[in-house]
Parts: sequence; structure tokens; C-alpha cells
Amino acid sequence: MSTQVKPLLAASASTAQSAAGTSSRNLLGHAAFILAFIGLWEFSSRQEWLNPTFFGRPSGIAQYLWNGLVVDRKLWLELGYTVAGTLLSFVLGSVLAIAVGLLFAMFPKFEKAAEPYLTVLNAMPRLALAPLFLLWFGLGIGSKVAVGTSLSFFIVLANTIAGIRGVSADHITLSRSLGATPSQLFFKVTLPSAVPVIASGLRLGLIYSMLGVIGSEIIAAEHGLGQVLSYLQSTFNMNGVMGVTLLLAFMGLLVTAGMSRLERSLLKWQ
Amino acid sequence: MSAVRIANLTVRFGADVLAVDDFSLDIAQGEFVSIVGPSGCGKTTVLNLLTGLLPLERGDISILGKRPFVGNPDVAYMLARDSLMPWRTTLGNASYGAEVRGVGKAEREAHAMELLRRVGLAGFEHRYPKALSHGMRQRCALARTFTLDSPVMLMDEPFGALDAQTKLQLEDLLLELWREEKRTVVFITHDLAEAVALSDRVIVMSARPGRIVADIPIGLQRPRSVKALQKDPEFHRIYAQVWSELERGIAVSGGAASSVNSQAVSA
Repeated sequence: MSTQVKPLLAASASTAQSAAGTSSRNLLGHAAFILAFIGLWEFSSRQEWLNPTFFGRPSGIAQYLWNGLVVDRKLWLELGYTVAGTLLSFVLGSVLAIAVGLLFAMFPKFEKAAEPYLTVLNAMPRLALAPLFLLWFGLGIGSKVAVGTSLSFFIVLANTIAGIRGVSADHITLSRSLGATPSQLFFKVTLPSAVPVIASGLRLGLIYSMLGVIGSEIIAAEHGLGQVLSYLQSTFNMNGVMGVTLLLAFMGLLVTAGMSRLERSLLKWQ
Repeated sequence: MSAVRIANLTVRFGADVLAVDDFSLDIAQGEFVSIVGPSGCGKTTVLNLLTGLLPLERGDISILGKRPFVGNPDVAYMLARDSLMPWRTTLGNASYGAEVRGVGKAEREAHAMELLRRVGLAGFEHRYPKALSHGMRQRCALARTFTLDSPVMLMDEPFGALDAQTKLQLEDLLLELWREEKRTVVFITHDLAEAVALSDRVIVMSARPGRIVADIPIGLQRPRSVKALQKDPEFHRIYAQVWSELERGIAVSGGAASSVNSQAVSA
């Protein structure tokens, strides 16, 4: 028994000490792996084991990003269009969706009447609407926002409805027995209990907005990273394609990290 | 004036389900009355009628002279599950009832703090329910119920979901609060021992349709400690007596005796 306890205690004592050390060691491991990966890629492409026309090469990608972000700074404008389109679609889609969801909660008959139409619209692959939106809203920011909004709206709406439906019957019974008015029921029970579900809908809504915007840009746009990507692909600039893809990945990371932070501060009780 | 007076109450669900049949009961102010019976006997139905959540169709009910209505400030309702709101702190939950009833923030929080202290939750007022144990959550629900200044308290199996040890502690806590506050309690349970230990009177209901088959005064001395009663031969003598009256009542009523037995015994 005592022989077992000793190493356990020793381990737990050293855990706290080495917590910082472990994470920096992990970081070092990742850095080593990434460096090795990039080195191998660069080496293979210089040895012409990998065809740079199809796979690009790390030095070329870095060169492209350096050029686009630091030297002539053209990528910032495109990035700006994509970010603005994403945020706009997200805000528009979620505000509309939450408003409609709340209306549904207040007027269940309205929800019943609207449900079949929403189901059909939601089943439609929204990216297929992009050509139509391009015709209606032009090559500017309007069409990509329309596609992004059409995606985020349904996701957030579904979550808003689920959140409102998920309210606890006990909370309602208790509140009613206390004489809560309909508005007290809504603001003190239904809404706060729906917030976590709506929040997870918002997170998805943001990702879907980005997806819709980039998809729409790839099909056609004056500006935006999707448009750049499509242009680079058609001119066989693989370094550019890889560079822009990397940029999009970072943008996605930043956007979802910001969302998580917001969620955590809003939902301390969870 | 009685605290609660129920006369010839009859409840039907739909055309052919007779849930409660000719139920009459008079509860004095400050009295602690338990209603026991098998599940489905209409205990909760009676309680819902008292809160006004269920509309009264046949019979008559008065609570401190008034017909029941939803939001009656004279009535505080405590549910079987703690029904704490996870987004509210302990303090926010304990003061919730008073908040809905429009009591000012400072006043309701001061009152809730005092009750949290009395139920042993001082120091936990800013925690969220997820950080509390089952027993602590039900303590908080007790504080919320007592923070309402309602003279009549309706409790629907409030300790049904707790383990035996925690249950004894909370029963004693409830008795203590009740003794200090002089409220009237209508307590629903299917646990006969709990009913005997807490109450001045135990009302036994038959299986559906719910009728009163026995109304038994409990002569145990007050103040009581439920924990101490567990070893008290007097408690066990009265428990056995109530048990046989219950059996006799069921035999006389000709109801589903076996279902009552198994329910009550298992509790």
C-alpha cells in the first residue's frame, strides 16, 4: 500500500510544478513537427519528387504571403471583404433568426404555418442559390452576404426554437404558481434558459456565414479571398492557393476563438 | 378561520376518469398536515387545485377565506424537484419567488440571505446550482419557499429524490423552520414514516379515485427531531398504529389495497 502511495504523491506534487513546463514542451514538440513537415515539403519539391505546379512549395507560399500582406498589401483588401461579408451575414442572419424564433415562441400558430416553408428552404442547398443571388445583388458584397445570411439564418433559427422549446416545465410551473406575468415568464425563464442553445447556434452560424461568403466568392465576386483563390487556381498559382487557404484557416480560427470567449463570459453559470 | 378548507372536491379528467372523489379536509392555521397515498391517487391534483394551476370544477376550496387563484400571495408552492434555475446563483434562486412577486431587490436579498444562513448555505450565496449537491440544492429550494412570506405552504414530495441521510437532515430543517415561522404546511408524500415524523395529522388517500380513507392525528411530542425519532419506540408504536389504520381504511374503502401497500412499504 505505502509503496503505491509514495510515487502517486510524488507525481501529484510534481504536477503543479511542471504544468508550465509541460505546455512549453508540447509547444516545442509541435514546432519541431511543423518545421520538419515544412522542411520535408521544401526538400521534396526542390528534388522534384513533388511537382510544385500541383503542390506549391513552402518558400513560394511564404513569398506569396509576404508579398500580399507586407509588400504590396493587396491581400488585406480581399481579406477585408471576406471578413466584412462574414460578419455582416452573421449579424443579419442571427438577428433575423432570433427575432423570428421569438415571434414563433409568442405566436405558436405562426410557427405552425411557417414550418413547411422553412423546412423546404432549409433543405435547399443554399450555395446553389448563389448564381441567382449574383444576378439579383451583383458582384459586390451584396450577393455574398445574401448567401452567408441564408446559411446562418436557418442554423440560428433552429437553435433558437430548440432553446425555447427546451425550457423546463418545472421552472414554468413554479413561476406560474408565483403569479409570474407572461413577460416575466419570458424574460426570467424562457429566454435565459434558451441562451446556451442559442449561443451554440450562433457559433455554428458564424462558421456557416464564412462558408457561404467564401463559397459565393469562389463562384463570382469582385473582391474577397474566395475570388482570389479561384483566380489563383485557374492560373495555376499553387503557392497562392496554399497561401490563401492558410489565411482562411487562420481567419476561421480567430473568429471561432473570439466566439468561444464571448460565450464563456456570457455563460459563466454553465 | 381554517387555513385550508376543502369541501366535497371531485375531479374528473375527461369523461370517464374520476381522479378525486368527494374529498373534504379542514386544516387549521399553523397545522402540519401530510397527505399520503399511492402514486396516481390524486395527491398532486389536490395540490394543483390549491395553487389554482388546475381549475376547480366541483366542490369548494378556500385558502384563508379566499378561492384559490394562480399567484395567490398567501400560498407558497414547493415542487418535488428543486427546480433551481442554473443561470441564477444560490442567492438569485432563493430570492426568485419574492422577485416575481415584486419585492424590492435590497429587501428580498436581505431576506433570502437570512434564510440561506438558516438552511446552512451561508458562504454559498454566489455559487451556481451546478456547484451544489442535491441536498444543498433542496436546501436552497427550502430557502426560496420560506423567503416568500406566504402563510400556507404546499409541498409536493420535496424530499422524495434525496438519499436517506440527507432526507433526515432536511426533514429536521423543515421542522425547525416551520416551528419558528408558524406556517401552515400541506405536505404530500408517499413515505408514511416521513408523514408520521413530521405531521400533526396524516391523511391517507386510496388509489384512484382518490378518497380519504383515514385521518389520523399524530400525538408525538413537539418539538421533534426526526433523527432522534428513528430510535424512539413511541414513534414506531404510532407508525405501526397508523399503518394498521391505513390497512383498515383501505380494506373498508375496498380500494386497490395491494397497490397502496406496496407503494407505502417501498417508501
